[in-house]
Amino acid sequence: MDKIQSFYPVVSNQKLSPCFYRLCFDAPQIVKTVQPGQFVHIRVHDGLEPFFRRPFSVYRAQKHVEIFYEAIGPGTEILTKKKKGDLLDVLGPLGTPFRLPSEDVEDVVMIAGGIGVAPFLILSDVLKARKCRLILLYGGRTAGHVYDMKEFKKNGCQIHVATDDGSIGVKGRVSKLFSKIPCNPETTMIYTCGPHAMMAAVQDFARQKRMSGQAACEEVMACALGACLGCSVKTTSGYQTCCYDGPAFELGEVIF
Amino acid sequence: MNLSVKIGNATFANPVTVASGTFGHAEKYYNLEEVKKLGALVPKTVTRHAQTGNPPARIIETASGMLNAIGIENPGIDGFMAQKLPSLQKIGVPLMVSILGHTDDEFVQIVEKLNGQSGIAALELNLSCPNLGHKVLVAQDPQAISRLVKRIKRVAKFPIVTKLSPNVTDISEMALAAQDAGADAVSLVNTFTAMVIDIEKRRSVLGNVTGGLSGPAIRPIAVQMVYRVARRVKIPVVGMGGIMTAKDALEFLIAGATMVAVGTANFVNPRAPLDVLEGIKEYMKKYKMKDIKEVIGSIHL
Ligand SMILES: Cc1cc2nc3c(=O)[nH]c(=O)nc-3n(C[C@H](O)[C@H](O)[C@H](O)COP(=O)(O)OP(=O)(O)OC[C@H]3O[C@@H](n4cnc5c(N)ncnc54)[C@H](O)[C@@H]3O)c2cc1C
Ligand SMILES: Cc1cc2nc3c(=O)[nH]c(=O)nc-3n(C[C@H](O)[C@H](O)[C@H](O)COP(=O)(O)O)c2cc1C
Ligand code: FES
Repeated sequence: MDKIQSFYPVVSNQKLSPCFYRLCFDAPQIVKTVQPGQFVHIRVHDGLEPFFRRPFSVYRAQKHVEIFYEAIGPGTEILTKKKKGDLLDVLGPLGTPFRLPSEDVEDVVMIAGGIGVAPFLILSDVLKARKCRLILLYGGRTAGHVYDMKEFKKNGCQIHVATDDGSIGVKGRVSKLFSKIPCNPETTMIYTCGPHAMMAAVQDFARQKRMSGQAACEEVMACALGACLGCSVKTTSGYQTCCYDGPAFELGEVIF
Repeated sequence: MNLSVKIGNATFANPVTVASGTFGHAEKYYNLEEVKKLGALVPKTVTRHAQTGNPPARIIETASGMLNAIGIENPGIDGFMAQKLPSLQKIGVPLMVSILGHTDDEFVQIVEKLNGQSGIAALELNLSCPNLGHKVLVAQDPQAISRLVKRIKRVAKFPIVTKLSPNVTDISEMALAAQDAGADAVSLVNTFTAMVIDIEKRRSVLGNVTGGLSGPAIRPIAVQMVYRVARRVKIPVVGMGGIMTAKDALEFLIAGATMVAVGTANFVNPRAPLDVLEGIKEYMKKYKMKDIKEVIGSIHL
């Protein structure tokens, strides 16, 4: 019944590090239309447990659609077993994409925690053609959780890393890296995705410096089509759906 | 093959519809040619005034199902008529508009606003509302059901479908109360009150503490309730609760349901209502049936 539901063949499903995977599937329709910040909703199996589909940001959409995921539970565990040629039941592309920077913006700062880096590769793919500087501030638990910086480097991003254990980059939270942010309200735009506490810290910082930005939110989703009203995000204009009104929201409007 | 069914004076091209609260944004995401194949559409319950809904978390998955505590977030009847009804009317499938008042007066006010609107085939009364002055919900008190249905029947220009809650001792008593008060049909079941606890935080997962269980986990109980109700009342029954496939829907029809609604399954498989419709047709072909009435209530005892 849905014009955005299709079955797409898996092209590859690679383990990149002890916890991260990258899955590519052949979905020309999605490649054509997807915008940075949008996501796909995948039915990982036909069984009843886990019951819901699982949402994943589109990580890249060039030849194929790529998702970058962390195996953390039953749904993503099943996803790790997908092989080349398997058909994936996908809804997408879904959701409101990021607002892209205006032409005046000179510095785009992407601030990610853990798997929250996923929507930023496609964002940097789109923005690298512009003259603006791309800066990625990335916080992870350990060196093993910091991936895949190579692709961001190729897109010309300046990368600054913080890890909880200091195994790579600065030791501590991503907020330790805020000093790297060029703070000009007219020419800097911030994008953030990660745990609530991290995005709240980014929001505080942006507010102090009067900078605008976008936050990509994450909530448990059932339909991902704006139908069930189950994925509410609290905002300054009331509850909004993460899947339909978001995942990208104005940074200043989310109440973390 | 005749698939058409009737509720009161309303005719539906086939018995398959969607359950309230599980279908939305048709114009953006759905192929409307396919939606047009359904027998009816039931939008999210609408109340007299806008409601913001419950604090998150509002949903959680469970074994073969889910809990929800949305809190009937909706724009209120005026917002619904301005923002949602026009696009639903445009689809062209008969609408069964689900309504809830926090008082009998509110119910009547909503009905009066909807009277005269085109495209509406029936009204579904969501009785999971407070029963003023009593501890239980209207859906749990046969006298309150009777009083409300009688009052609405006096003003409504449309057939009335009374939606029953399974959180009662004997759901057929509630169905009889609705029938005797003049309801044109009953629909069942709404969700089962339920709870999931986060053992690390020792808190209920849902912001509202309790929620309603739906999905395949409740299906056998729902089939039994539809069976029991269909044997006691003469008015049509709309059956729902965990329908994922045509086989599931056929269980409800054979148990005595005149129509079936697909709810939670929409979240997992947005094609589910159409798959159900196609599967019912195949089943009738297989058994050389010409009319859906040969399926409805055909259980051998
Ligand atoms: C818009 C959006 C984009 C996302 N993008 C990515 C991504 O690019 N890469 C990635 O690895 N993860 C992403 N996630 C998170 C991913 O959906 C969850 O990690 C996944 O659903 C976990 O499933 P599981 O069965 O493996 O683990 P579970 O044990 O089921 O859950 C582990 C955690 O994931 C959360 N979760 C569970 N089910 C859902 C659901 N249906 N929707 C949202 N969160 C859920 C739970 O709250 C829990 O904290 C995204 C989530 C959203 C909402
Ligand atoms: C997320 C969600 C929202 C719902 N909202 C409503 C509602 O607004 N009004 C209503 O009468 N029923 C509502 N229901 C109940 C369904 O219409 C249906 O009665 C119930 O879920 C059982 O069917 P199912 O197992 O097929 O979902 C809702 C159910 C879910 C899962
Ligand atoms: S997941 Fe259903 S509205 Fe967002």
